[in-house]
Amino acid sequence: MDDSTNRLTTGDDEIANQQERLLPIANVGRIMKQILPQNAKISKEAKETMQECASEFISFVTGEASDKCKKERRKTVNGDDVCWAMGTLGFDDYAPPLKRYLDRYRELEDDRLSNPQRNEEEGQPSSSAAELSSIPKPF
Amino acid sequence: MRQAGVYSGILSGGGISGRTGPHLLPLARIKKIMKKSSVDVKMISGEAPLVFSKACELFIEELTKRSWNMTIQGKRRTLHKEDVASALATTDVFDFLINLVYPNASDHPNLNEEYTEKKQ
Repeated sequence: MDDSTNRLTTGDDEIANQQERLLPIANVGRIMKQILPQNAKISKEAKETMQECASEFISFVTGEASDKCKKERRKTVNGDDVCWAMGTLGFDDYAPPLKRYLDRYRELEDDRLSNPQRNEEEGQPSSSAAELSSIPKPF
Repeated sequence: MRQAGVYSGILSGGGISGRTGPHLLPLARIKKIMKKSSVDVKMISGEAPLVFSKACELFIEELTKRSWNMTIQGKRRTLHKEDVASALATTDVFDFLINLVYPNASDHPNLNEEYTEKKQ
Protein backbone atom coordinates (compact mmCIF):
# COMPACT_ATOMS: atom_id res chain seq x y z
CA MET A 1 0.00 0.00 0.00
CA ASP A 2 2.85 2.32 0.83
CA ASP A 3 4.52 3.75 -2.28
CA SER A 4 7.98 3.68 -0.73
CA THR A 5 8.07 -0.14 -0.73
CA ASN A 6 7.56 -0.08 -4.48
CA ARG A 7 10.58 2.18 -4.82
CA LEU A 8 12.78 -0.29 -2.96
CA THR A 9 12.00 -3.15 -5.28
CA THR A 10 12.22 -1.36 -8.62
CA GLY A 11 15.45 -1.29 -10.57
CA ASP A 12 17.73 1.70 -10.89
CA ASP A 13 16.33 2.57 -14.32
CA GLU A 14 12.83 2.81 -13.04
CA ILE A 15 13.88 5.00 -10.16
CA ALA A 16 15.71 7.30 -12.56
CA ASN A 17 12.64 7.50 -14.78
CA GLN A 18 10.46 8.30 -11.82
CA GLN A 19 12.79 11.11 -10.77
CA GLU A 20 12.77 12.50 -14.30
CA ARG A 21 9.10 13.27 -14.12
CA LEU A 22 9.48 15.20 -10.87
CA LEU A 23 11.15 18.46 -9.97
CA PRO A 24 14.18 17.94 -7.69
CA ILE A 25 13.18 17.56 -4.06
CA ALA A 26 15.92 19.91 -2.88
CA ASN A 27 14.60 22.76 -5.03
CA VAL A 28 11.00 22.08 -4.07
CA GLY A 29 11.96 21.91 -0.40
CA ARG A 30 13.81 25.20 -0.65
CA ILE A 31 10.82 27.03 -2.10
CA MET A 32 8.61 25.59 0.63
CA LYS A 33 11.07 26.55 3.35
CA GLN A 34 11.37 30.12 2.10
CA ILE A 35 7.67 30.78 2.49
CA LEU A 36 7.30 29.25 5.94
CA PRO A 37 8.31 30.63 9.35
CA GLN A 38 11.83 29.82 10.44
CA ASN A 39 10.93 27.23 13.03
CA ALA A 40 8.62 25.34 10.68
CA LYS A 41 9.49 21.75 9.80
CA ILE A 42 8.49 19.88 6.68
CA SER A 43 8.17 16.11 6.54
CA LYS A 44 9.90 14.29 3.70
CA GLU A 45 6.57 12.89 2.64
CA ALA A 46 5.11 16.38 2.37
CA LYS A 47 7.98 17.44 0.10
CA GLU A 48 7.45 14.36 -2.05
CA THR A 49 3.77 15.14 -2.25
CA MET A 50 4.59 18.69 -3.31
CA GLN A 51 6.88 17.31 -6.03
CA GLU A 52 4.02 15.23 -7.40
CA CYS A 53 1.59 18.13 -7.24
CA ALA A 54 3.97 20.44 -9.06
CA SER A 55 4.49 17.94 -11.88
CA GLU A 56 0.78 17.41 -12.17
CA PHE A 57 0.32 21.18 -12.29
CA ILE A 58 2.78 21.41 -15.18
CA SER A 59 1.06 18.56 -17.05
CA PHE A 60 -2.38 19.97 -16.44
CA VAL A 61 -1.56 23.43 -17.70
CA THR A 62 0.56 22.15 -20.59
CA GLY A 63 -2.30 19.93 -21.73
CA GLU A 64 -4.60 22.93 -21.93
CA ALA A 65 -2.00 25.08 -23.70
CA SER A 66 -1.24 22.30 -26.14
CA ASP A 67 -4.95 21.83 -26.96
CA LYS A 68 -5.13 25.49 -27.84
CA CYS A 69 -2.12 25.21 -30.14
CA LYS A 70 -3.63 22.19 -31.80
CA LYS A 71 -6.91 24.02 -32.45
CA GLU A 72 -5.02 26.95 -33.89
CA ARG A 73 -2.78 24.64 -35.92
CA ARG A 74 0.40 25.82 -34.28
CA LYS A 75 3.20 23.42 -33.53
CA THR A 76 4.94 25.30 -30.78
CA VAL A 77 3.66 25.88 -27.28
CA ASN A 78 4.95 29.30 -26.26
CA GLY A 79 4.99 31.39 -23.10
CA ASP A 80 1.76 33.20 -23.94
CA ASP A 81 -0.04 29.89 -24.39
CA VAL A 82 1.10 28.82 -20.94
CA CYS A 83 -0.08 32.11 -19.40
CA TRP A 84 -3.40 31.84 -21.17
CA ALA A 85 -3.90 28.24 -20.04
CA MET A 86 -3.27 29.22 -16.45
CA GLY A 87 -5.87 31.94 -16.62
CA THR A 88 -8.39 29.52 -18.13
CA LEU A 89 -7.81 26.88 -15.48
CA GLY A 90 -8.46 29.25 -12.61
CA PHE A 91 -4.93 30.39 -11.81
CA ASP A 92 -5.91 33.97 -12.55
CA ASP A 93 -3.75 35.29 -9.76
CA TYR A 94 -0.63 33.91 -11.38
CA ALA A 95 -1.27 35.26 -14.85
CA PRO A 96 -0.32 38.94 -14.29
CA PRO A 97 3.04 38.37 -12.53
CA LEU A 98 3.87 35.68 -15.06
CA LYS A 99 3.06 37.96 -17.93
CA ARG A 100 5.35 40.60 -16.40
CA TYR A 101 8.07 37.98 -15.89
CA LEU A 102 7.76 36.88 -19.49
CA ASP A 103 7.77 40.43 -20.85
CA ARG A 104 10.85 41.21 -18.78
CA TYR A 105 12.59 38.08 -20.07
CA ARG A 106 11.81 39.09 -23.66
CA GLU A 107 13.16 42.55 -23.01
CA LEU A 108 16.37 41.08 -21.61
CA GLU A 109 16.65 38.70 -24.54
CA ASP A 110 16.52 41.63 -26.93
CA ASP A 111 19.17 43.41 -24.89
CA ARG A 112 21.36 40.34 -24.80
CA LEU A 113 21.13 39.80 -28.50
CA SER A 114 22.18 43.35 -29.21
CA ASN A 115 25.08 43.30 -26.68
CA PRO A 116 26.70 39.85 -27.04
CA GLN A 117 30.10 40.71 -25.46
CA ARG A 118 28.67 41.55 -22.01
CA ASN A 119 27.62 38.00 -21.28
CA GLU A 120 30.89 36.17 -21.85
CA GLU A 121 32.18 36.99 -18.36
CA GLU A 122 31.47 34.45 -15.63
CA GLY A 123 30.50 35.61 -12.20
CA GLN A 124 29.29 39.00 -13.30
CA PRO A 125 26.07 39.59 -11.45
CA SER A 126 23.49 40.90 -13.81
CA SER A 127 21.20 43.63 -12.57
CA SER A 128 18.54 42.06 -14.73
CA ALA A 129 18.60 38.96 -12.54
CA ALA A 130 17.65 41.10 -9.57
CA GLU A 131 14.97 42.84 -11.59
CA LEU A 132 13.36 39.57 -12.58
CA SER A 133 13.17 38.35 -9.02
CA SER A 134 11.63 41.56 -7.72
CA ILE A 135 8.31 41.07 -9.44
CA PRO A 136 5.71 41.12 -6.68
CA LYS A 137 3.73 38.03 -5.87
CA PRO A 138 -0.08 37.95 -6.02
CA PHE A 139 -0.53 36.93 -2.35
CA MET B 1 33.11 24.69 -17.28
CA ARG B 2 29.78 26.41 -17.28
CA GLN B 3 29.20 28.58 -20.27
CA ALA B 4 27.05 31.64 -20.20
CA GLY B 5 24.00 30.68 -22.21
CA VAL B 6 20.55 32.02 -22.63
CA TYR B 7 19.50 31.08 -19.13
CA SER B 8 22.66 31.04 -17.07
CA GLY B 9 23.93 34.17 -18.74
CA ILE B 10 21.06 36.51 -18.06
CA LEU B 11 18.73 35.15 -15.55
CA SER B 12 21.05 33.60 -13.03
CA GLY B 13 23.78 36.19 -13.42
CA GLY B 14 26.26 33.64 -14.71
CA GLY B 15 28.77 31.48 -12.83
CA ILE B 16 28.31 30.71 -9.14
CA SER B 17 25.56 33.24 -8.63
CA GLY B 18 23.44 30.95 -10.78
CA ARG B 19 22.39 29.17 -7.63
CA THR B 20 21.01 32.22 -5.93
CA GLY B 21 19.55 33.70 -9.11
CA PRO B 22 15.85 33.94 -9.73
CA HIS B 23 15.72 30.38 -11.16
CA LEU B 24 14.83 27.96 -8.48
CA LEU B 25 13.82 25.12 -10.76
CA PRO B 26 15.72 23.35 -13.57
CA LEU B 27 14.35 24.27 -16.98
CA ALA B 28 15.42 21.04 -18.70
CA ARG B 29 13.45 18.99 -16.19
CA ILE B 30 10.40 21.21 -16.63
CA LYS B 31 10.64 20.73 -20.36
CA LYS B 32 10.74 16.93 -19.90
CA ILE B 33 7.63 17.01 -17.76
CA MET B 34 5.86 19.19 -20.32
CA LYS B 35 6.71 16.78 -23.12
CA LYS B 36 5.37 13.82 -21.18
CA SER B 37 2.05 15.52 -20.47
CA SER B 38 0.52 14.77 -23.86
CA VAL B 39 1.33 13.19 -27.22
CA ASP B 40 0.07 16.42 -28.76
CA VAL B 41 2.96 18.38 -27.34
CA LYS B 42 5.35 18.66 -30.23
CA MET B 43 7.53 21.69 -29.85
CA ILE B 44 8.09 23.90 -26.88
CA SER B 45 9.41 27.44 -27.12
CA GLY B 46 12.35 28.46 -24.96
CA GLU B 47 10.15 30.70 -22.86
CA ALA B 48 7.54 28.14 -21.89
CA PRO B 49 9.68 26.25 -19.32
CA LEU B 50 10.77 29.62 -18.02
CA VAL B 51 7.19 30.71 -17.39
CA PHE B 52 6.62 27.42 -15.62
CA SER B 53 9.67 27.85 -13.43
CA LYS B 54 8.05 31.00 -12.05
CA ALA B 55 4.55 29.53 -12.06
CA CYS B 56 5.66 26.44 -10.14
CA GLU B 57 7.31 28.66 -7.60
CA LEU B 58 4.02 30.54 -7.13
CA PHE B 59 2.09 27.28 -7.05
CA ILE B 60 4.35 25.66 -4.48
CA GLU B 61 4.27 28.79 -2.36
CA GLU B 62 0.50 28.99 -2.41
CA LEU B 63 -0.04 25.31 -1.69
CA THR B 64 2.59 25.39 1.05
CA LYS B 65 1.00 28.40 2.75
CA ARG B 66 -2.43 26.80 2.66
CA SER B 67 -1.02 23.51 3.91
CA TRP B 68 0.71 25.31 6.74
CA ASN B 69 -2.63 26.80 7.79
CA MET B 70 -3.82 23.24 8.28
CA THR B 71 -0.72 22.41 10.27
CA ILE B 72 -1.35 25.39 12.55
CA GLN B 73 -4.98 24.39 12.97
CA GLY B 74 -3.74 21.02 14.16
CA LYS B 75 -1.43 22.84 16.61
CA ARG B 76 1.67 21.32 15.06
CA ARG B 77 4.92 22.71 13.69
CA THR B 78 5.67 20.01 11.14
CA LEU B 79 3.94 20.18 7.79
CA HIS B 80 2.68 16.71 6.85
CA LYS B 81 1.22 15.13 3.76
CA GLU B 82 -2.22 15.23 5.36
CA ASP B 83 -1.98 19.00 5.59
CA VAL B 84 -1.30 19.21 1.88
CA ALA B 85 -4.28 16.96 1.18
CA SER B 86 -6.50 19.12 3.37
CA ALA B 87 -5.34 22.25 1.56
CA LEU B 88 -6.17 20.64 -1.79
CA ALA B 89 -9.63 19.67 -0.61
CA THR B 90 -10.45 23.18 0.55
CA THR B 91 -9.24 25.08 -2.52
CA ASP B 92 -11.38 24.82 -5.65
CA VAL B 93 -8.59 25.59 -8.09
CA PHE B 94 -6.64 22.58 -6.75
CA ASP B 95 -9.45 20.13 -7.40
CA PHE B 96 -7.46 18.48 -10.19
CA LEU B 97 -4.97 17.29 -7.59
CA ILE B 98 -7.23 15.65 -5.04
CA ASN B 99 -7.00 12.17 -6.49
CA LEU B 100 -3.26 12.44 -6.83
CA VAL B 101 -2.57 12.63 -3.12
CA TYR B 102 -5.12 10.15 -1.83
CA PRO B 103 -6.57 8.15 -4.71
CA ASN B 104 -9.24 6.94 -2.31
CA ALA B 105 -10.46 9.82 -0.23
CA SER B 106 -11.35 7.40 2.54
CA ASP B 107 -7.60 6.86 3.08
CA HIS B 108 -7.20 10.40 4.34
CA PRO B 109 -7.40 10.48 8.13
CA ASN B 110 -9.49 13.65 8.39
CA LEU B 111 -10.79 14.07 4.92
CA ASN B 112 -13.57 11.56 4.62
CA GLU B 113 -16.33 13.79 5.96
CA GLU B 114 -15.30 16.86 3.98
CA TYR B 115 -14.98 14.88 0.77
CA THR B 116 -18.46 13.40 0.96
CA GLU B 117 -19.89 16.83 1.73
CA LYS B 118 -18.19 18.32 -1.31
CA LYS B 119 -19.49 15.58 -3.57
CA GLN B 120 -23.01 16.59 -2.70
